[in-house]
Amino acid sequence: MARDIFRRLVRWEGLLLAILAVIVVVTGIAVPGYLNPQNQINLLELSIEKAIVVLAMTFVIVSGEIDLSIASVMGLSAVLVAWLKEQGVPVEVGIIAALLVGALCGLFNGYWVAVIGLPSLAVTLAGLIGYRGAALLLVGDRSIGGFPEWFNRLGQQPLLGPFPLALMVFAVLLVGATVLLQFSGFGRYAYVVGSSPEVARFSGVRVRRVKLAVFAMSGVVSAFAGVLLLARLGAVRGSTAEGFELDIITMVLLGGVSIFGGSGTMAGVILSILVVLNLRNGLALANATGNTQAGVIGALLILSVLVPNLVAAARSRLGRGGSAEAAVIPKLSDL
Amino acid sequence: MRIKHSTSLSLLAGLALVASACGGPAAAPSQSPTQAAATPTQAAATATAGGVAKATPGQSVKMMLLPKFLGILPFAQANKGAGDAAAELKNSTALAFVGPTADNSVQGQIEFMTNAATQGYKVVMISNNAGDQIAPAATAAQAAGVKVVAWDSPIPSAKGENLFVAQVDFNEMGKVMADMALSIMGADGGKFAILSASPDAANQNAWIKALNDALKDPKYAKVQLVDTVYGNDQSERSYTQAQALVAKYPDLKVIMAPTTVGIAAAAKAMQDGKMCDKVKVSGLGLPSEMVSYTINGCAPQFALWSFVDLGYLTYYTSYMLATGAIKGTEGEQFEAGRMGTFKITKDPTRSAGLRVLMGPFKIYDKTNVEAEAK
Amino acid sequence: MTLLLRRVRPEQVRELTLVFILVAVVAFFATQIPNYLAWQTFTDISTGLAIIAVAAVGQTLVVLTRNIDLSIGSVVGLVAYFVGTLLAGTPGMPAPAAFGIAIAMGGALGAVNGVIVAFGRVPAVVATLGTLAIYRVALVELSGAKTVTTDSLPAWLLNLPRMSVVSLGQLDVRPLVLLALAVVIVFQLVLSYLPYGRRLFAIGSNPDAARVAGLPVERDVFVAFLLSGALAGLAGFLFLVRFGNITVVAGQGLELQVVAAVVVGGVNIFGGSGSIVGALAGATLINVLQQSLIRWPAVSAFAQDAILGLLILLAVASDKVILGRLRTIWVQARRRDEERAAATAAEQATHGA
Repeated sequence: MARDIFRRLVRWEGLLLAILAVIVVVTGIAVPGYLNPQNQINLLELSIEKAIVVLAMTFVIVSGEIDLSIASVMGLSAVLVAWLKEQGVPVEVGIIAALLVGALCGLFNGYWVAVIGLPSLAVTLAGLIGYRGAALLLVGDRSIGGFPEWFNRLGQQPLLGPFPLALMVFAVLLVGATVLLQFSGFGRYAYVVGSSPEVARFSGVRVRRVKLAVFAMSGVVSAFAGVLLLARLGAVRGSTAEGFELDIITMVLLGGVSIFGGSGTMAGVILSILVVLNLRNGLALANATGNTQAGVIGALLILSVLVPNLVAAARSRLGRGGSAEAAVIPKLSDL
Repeated sequence: MRIKHSTSLSLLAGLALVASACGGPAAAPSQSPTQAAATPTQAAATATAGGVAKATPGQSVKMMLLPKFLGILPFAQANKGAGDAAAELKNSTALAFVGPTADNSVQGQIEFMTNAATQGYKVVMISNNAGDQIAPAATAAQAAGVKVVAWDSPIPSAKGENLFVAQVDFNEMGKVMADMALSIMGADGGKFAILSASPDAANQNAWIKALNDALKDPKYAKVQLVDTVYGNDQSERSYTQAQALVAKYPDLKVIMAPTTVGIAAAAKAMQDGKMCDKVKVSGLGLPSEMVSYTINGCAPQFALWSFVDLGYLTYYTSYMLATGAIKGTEGEQFEAGRMGTFKITKDPTRSAGLRVLMGPFKIYDKTNVEAEAK
Repeated sequence: MTLLLRRVRPEQVRELTLVFILVAVVAFFATQIPNYLAWQTFTDISTGLAIIAVAAVGQTLVVLTRNIDLSIGSVVGLVAYFVGTLLAGTPGMPAPAAFGIAIAMGGALGAVNGVIVAFGRVPAVVATLGTLAIYRVALVELSGAKTVTTDSLPAWLLNLPRMSVVSLGQLDVRPLVLLALAVVIVFQLVLSYLPYGRRLFAIGSNPDAARVAGLPVERDVFVAFLLSGALAGLAGFLFLVRFGNITVVAGQGLELQVVAAVVVGGVNIFGGSGSIVGALAGATLINVLQQSLIRWPAVSAFAQDAILGLLILLAVASDKVILGRLRTIWVQARRRDEERAAATAAEQATHGA
């Protein structure tokens, strides 16, 4: 009985859930204002755009690739909407254009990776520099603001009850992404492509198409998140969303998605988002500097994998509880 | 070319540095607060019965000092000044000096600003790195009862900002840079380039714009600004950008870097390239970081204000604002401890916003840099 | 040409394709930038390259084992800051001691990565993303907001970047460059000829098979991280020498440049293939692109990144295309050879009969 509970705890999602519970309980007791509903909404809202991109990034990493260009696509799409507005294009049209450009950026990445066969790390690193460069080209050293009232209100005011639009969008996308990844044929293809492209090819999966679709999705979702970010901030510069990629990738990996593809679940990813955001918010409310926050999250990232591995190793050395390998999340411990 | 040094400590107080060789002996001590009041005065009549407000020490006010990011000297100096003021004012609630990491500056500042209301802060003192992107968060904080006082770098639209404590007049900054360029190049003039921090540093951009405006004066007819490049406030990037400027413009005479990181990196690049007799470096620098380059002639002249004073004044202003001693309206005058009397005016360098002007700032050259560096 | 191709497999000359691209890039910029082909340009670019190249050597070792070291930027910054502070405090410290401390400290930081990855079995991306943050945090906390300034550093260190080891006319070869070159050569030899080097390839190609075959996988991976850290420490020392002013953001983002250099240099990010010389070629290519773009009068500061992104992509793509083309030619040449040999053999057989 106790062993069964332990086993379930050792499973990744269980571990994350336990970490989250500890964070919420400890912070709830120690830090006044943390459990305040408005604070709970704030902590989500402050990083909601990253959380949205995390969903798309999960597909990319599950299928065995990486997309470093997401933050640059977010910045480019936000800048594009603003720039088009300056040229007299209505914001509604600008948003559609930004989404299209996002899709094109994603397809462009996907083309070089899936069709030409270049490593995605190289392609999207070039994208990270290039798409950011395109954003800089449009705005230079300027800052563009002055968006229509409805647009700012959507980004900055609660829409339904205390919930802003972006939070509800995230909820919908989360459900959609979960269904797509865990319960659809496409999701299964993504896993197969990620665990072994050869097997995927032999079993008739169109690897190219899956990868193209995954990159296109990453592009569109990033562009969409960029528009939401623009609405929340009400102004944009060339550097908007710069550096978000590391945070986003951190959340995906902490969610138990293997960087080598083929494994991980949406449940783990959402738990990881909650862990990171709650931890950061709790620390900030306790007056920890951004530096301390970064350090704690860095340490958590390592320890969350290291400690279960050490526990499992110790158990197997003691000769109890069967194979250590089986207890640890199999894919993560591979390498 | 021959370099003309201004031979004595020259203070800039609205007056331009004289281009010809020697600036006259300093007329006023650098702390002189009267300079601040000598700014464009508008509608002084709205001040509270012409009185000068004074702070009531000993009140408990929860205050946050929020720099662009933590870990560099100017912000630590500002924190020191703010700490001095806090001690003088006997604020029983400790000052929180928190900030984001350099690579997460914008997002981090927005988070701190949003959390400030939850945490019950009465004042957030921010050196804004997020441009207008912080405005919604600052406006929300104000709505929740937090006063937002910007220092060092304002919120450009002034939305969500109660006051801006300006280190210097941003327009004057342009003139000072033009004067330093002219003074270094001599009457013959020549080409110079700007090495800025990043394309979205609002204060840097304001200064560059002011410099461009200042250059329209016929006095600077022979001074030609050829390029603006960005070193992102990283030594390594600033260094290579400075090297590239020299390669790109073989007849370049001055690199003007209105950023403490950029000016030091550029000076080192010129020194390493043995180009100091051809290309001089100037701009805004910390004396302690620039002293050797000033002595050996790589950076004969640069300017800066005191970040300690800026932190002190910002704290004083914010404390008085939060305790109700001042309301933060145009025309109010108040006494800020050791620094003297200041007045809240419209900010003439922005389309909106109120300003408390610290000024003046100091020009450093080899006559005074060593004393200050210690 | 075809004769040469018959003997040499395209994979063996893959660095040459990068050199070819590099020559094309330099030729292009020579037409665009006045005085581009000057020794000063060479001195500027090569000295900056030295830092990246040394770090890229370490990264190559790690990537060969199917791992990655993302903590490099923070290690470089932390070591540069720490050694700078140390030298400022004890100006009498001899140069070799400072040099040794930098390498040892980098090695220690790398060893932490190595322990976590090799023995703690934490995926390298996760482990080094974590230490990337943690080492930077350590730097910020350690610094107390003080900057290492050139003033506080001893004269020998400040003079180092100005010294010339070889000076032919206007060509100055800086000690930094020679040191980096030596590191590249030594580690290329290690990789090619020492058993340890060969094992790294085996581990990266198939870690499980390597384990089954009895290779000390954990130990070798650990050593790779240790070396990567030590080389990053050396890069940190070079960083201190070159830039002098060290703030808390020193080296930030360097890891991406180094990873880019390694990937562009043809080192397989999934391990098992690549070379140090390739990584050097990749680092050179990226550095030359960057440095040339900021010297190109036709391009504004705001257009540079857009072009740089595109050029990096083009470089990677053309490398792949050229290599593919060479392989086709090689295969055809081999087939023709074999056919001819078979024909000759058959002819001889009929003659003999």
